[in-house]
Amino acid sequence: MIVASSKPFQEIKQMLSGFKKVCVLGCGSCVTICHTGGEKQVTEIAAQIRLSAKLEGRQVEVIEDSTLRQCEWEFIDDIKEIIKDCDAILSIACGVGVQYMAERFPKIRIFPGVNTTFMGGPTEQGVFWERCAGCGNCILATTGGLCPVSRCAKSLMNGPCGGSKNGKCEVSQETPCVWNQIYDQLNTQQLLATMETIVPPKDWTTGMENHPRKMILEHLVMKK
Amino acid sequence: MAIDKPCSKSDKKINEEAPCILACPIRQDARDYVQLIARGRFSEAYRLVRERNPLPSACGRICTHPCETKCRRNSTESPIAIAWLKRFLGDNFSEETRKNFTEKHPEKIAIIGAGPAGLAAANDLALLGYSCTIFESNPTPGGMLRMGVPTYRLPRTAIDNDVEFIKKLGVEIKYNTTLGTDVTFDSLKKDGFSAIFISVGLLESRTLNIEGVSLEGALKGVSFLHEVNTTGNAKIGKNVLVIGGGAVAMDCARTALRLKPDKVSVACLESRKEMPTTDFEIEETIHEGAILYNSVGPKRILGKNGRVTGLETLKVKYVFDEQKRFNPAFYEGSESVIEADTIILAIGQASNLSFLKGQEGIQVTRGGTIIVNPNTFSTSVQGIYAGGDIVLGRGTMTEGMAQGKKAAIAIHNTLRNKALQDEKWSEKPVVPDIVESRVPLIKKEQKHDMPTMPSDKRLDNFEEVELGFSLNTAVKEAQRCMNCGAGAFVDDNLCVGCLTCVRVCPFEVPKIKKGDTTAYIDGDCQSCGLCIVECPAKAISFKTPLEDRGKNTLEAVFQEKFIQDVKPMIINFYCQYSAYNGDKIDTVHNALFSNIRRVGVLGLGKVDPSLYLKAFELGARGVLVTACKDDTCHFCNEREWIERRTKYTAQLLRGLGMDIKRFQTHFVSSQNGKEIIDLTFKMVEDLRDV
Repeated sequence: MIVASSKPFQEIKQMLSGFKKVCVLGCGSCVTICHTGGEKQVTEIAAQIRLSAKLEGRQVEVIEDSTLRQCEWEFIDDIKEIIKDCDAILSIACGVGVQYMAERFPKIRIFPGVNTTFMGGPTEQGVFWERCAGCGNCILATTGGLCPVSRCAKSLMNGPCGGSKNGKCEVSQETPCVWNQIYDQLNTQQLLATMETIVPPKDWTTGMENHPRKMILEHLVMKK
Repeated sequence: MAIDKPCSKSDKKINEEAPCILACPIRQDARDYVQLIARGRFSEAYRLVRERNPLPSACGRICTHPCETKCRRNSTESPIAIAWLKRFLGDNFSEETRKNFTEKHPEKIAIIGAGPAGLAAANDLALLGYSCTIFESNPTPGGMLRMGVPTYRLPRTAIDNDVEFIKKLGVEIKYNTTLGTDVTFDSLKKDGFSAIFISVGLLESRTLNIEGVSLEGALKGVSFLHEVNTTGNAKIGKNVLVIGGGAVAMDCARTALRLKPDKVSVACLESRKEMPTTDFEIEETIHEGAILYNSVGPKRILGKNGRVTGLETLKVKYVFDEQKRFNPAFYEGSESVIEADTIILAIGQASNLSFLKGQEGIQVTRGGTIIVNPNTFSTSVQGIYAGGDIVLGRGTMTEGMAQGKKAAIAIHNTLRNKALQDEKWSEKPVVPDIVESRVPLIKKEQKHDMPTMPSDKRLDNFEEVELGFSLNTAVKEAQRCMNCGAGAFVDDNLCVGCLTCVRVCPFEVPKIKKGDTTAYIDGDCQSCGLCIVECPAKAISFKTPLEDRGKNTLEAVFQEKFIQDVKPMIINFYCQYSAYNGDKIDTVHNALFSNIRRVGVLGLGKVDPSLYLKAFELGARGVLVTACKDDTCHFCNEREWIERRTKYTAQLLRGLGMDIKRFQTHFVSSQNGKEIIDLTFKMVEDLRDV
């Protein structure tokens, strides 16, 4: 899932300054699960906006709503009526949702309420880790199911760097060295020999070096 | 109901009913009135009881409370004192029920007998719009409640208070009027009564077919109680023996003890465990000085010169046979004698059907009860209905009331050709027993004892023995209730399957079952509300309409007329679980009236940080959260959550540039003592600097 973190309220406040009627719009999938863009956050941010205006003696009307997924035209079309009088929308969906909103409602100012951060998941309640970098060429089959692209600070392909110490990454003592983990995993699976295979330089053109990426499923594309 | 519809998003999982409600013959809303008491909403609780129960004060005293037998708190330690809580309401509150007469109907209904069934039928028929007249052979109302139940268990004012309400509905009671003597079926019809409901009860004592029953000193239980209850005395000897093991036998023994003989004994067929009355009654009887002989059967009453001298008994082999039928068997040659100069037979009651003379069309059973259609309560004669003990043969007070209530609907349906149903009696699945592994996670909270008159003072009078709960005890007792079947539920349309509820629940209740994509919360939910606050999709709500998690109370505060005069206007969110630990809650409310307004919530784990923001938004200058200290927390470990949310809320307020002195959380041992007053004044000072 896509993980996003909340923006500092001061930044939100600045973005929305001057607008009289604002809609705070949540998204019912990834950002709900990571507790930054669901219905609960809509209520909290809306309350903050109202309270902030009250403290400064401003008037602002805040509408609260949420869609099932902001990255689907059909779902965001449902809120057309609700937002029609709004000056601005604070979308607390990921960057995809914000852009969908901007494309669908070009006359209304759309602002992002969260920082879209990574693809990952919760490892325990309230703790989210990055797990995938979307490199477009998955190598998990050879690394014991652990991704060095997203989980190694340097995205190394052939084992750890000299900064791996006691199983931790030199960048942060909180971060496990994924190559250490890969070694342990392959050892458990009696596949350590795999590590002897030298991986040639990775072709990054399938990944972030090749924006914007696109995928077409011919068998599903409907004739216009 | 006095309360509004559940504020739920989806009703599809509100399908299990609390066992206390299903166990009650009249389907009294036990859980809900207990929950209202737990929240200090006494008048609403009283109204809720009264809307279903025409005799709450009496019922709160002498009901055999099957609700408590089925209470799920039995799995953790002991049941909620549901009946005593009802008595607390009946004794201390009185308010007109909200129900208005929708329609007035022209038919008049005659009800024979002002016992539980008759009073209940009259009450409900009056509410349905009929004019009812009760014909009662005694000079006072209550039936067996008055003639049979001793005053030390049921003071007559309790009956009178309840009956007063019924009379206010327009029900007329004609006393000293006996069916068959003063009025007849024909005279009633001539007087324009469209329906007659017979609820005369069982007026006679059942007797034994043994030698000696007609000796002087052999008394019948019902007659004995009737005499003492009407005259305050009865002729007994120095050594009294009661035969029987039920509630009436215990009443006879305890009544006899108050007449000061040298000795009172009780002999019954049943073993201690088999005795057909509550443990409490048996214990009180022994406690007051009666000697109990279990597993002995009467062989013959011995006498000399026409007077009773004792009872020859046989040892009981078994009371119930393999088919669980009452079929006692005795050991041969096991005779022994219990000496007594008075023997009271309290082995059951029987009917007196003399009023049916000339009404042979009304079919009766061999046991002397009237046969009715169980759905229509109609006897074999059109227009004549019957219910209560005269139909049941033997029933409890609530079973009698249930008959009266059901008969009222049946009579209405017949007269109006309608199909009115009381949905409370509809079949519903019961909330299952608590999962065994969950029991240790639930805080043990012992049942509160009923304060009683000291035993050395009891036998001098017929004053009530049980003194009733104080307000604080009643609330604390009610707060033990687990709110079965009314806890949290998940709206499938909103749940995103994020597992938050599964992870945060301290009782490990929410689950995502294999193959499901959404969470499910079963009847073991303890209503702590943590999952409701933490759910990012706001997919979880309470089923109970009583729980608004502080929202409505907060909004109501700001609707007050002179709210702007409250300075510096602090909103105190407090946990109601420790609100009745010390002084009266009003004392603190009043002391702080010019500075704060209080929003009580049954467990602060239910309060959303956004509600704290809302308080500021509505105009609060400060928000003071006073939660329970660890040892008093009903949910055991909410402190951690309250602390976290305090930190989180402070972070939100800091983001707004607000001084966090305006938001304070403290853990207190009582919500109504000096501690709260001191904290409030400290905060008033703090706010001066902000």
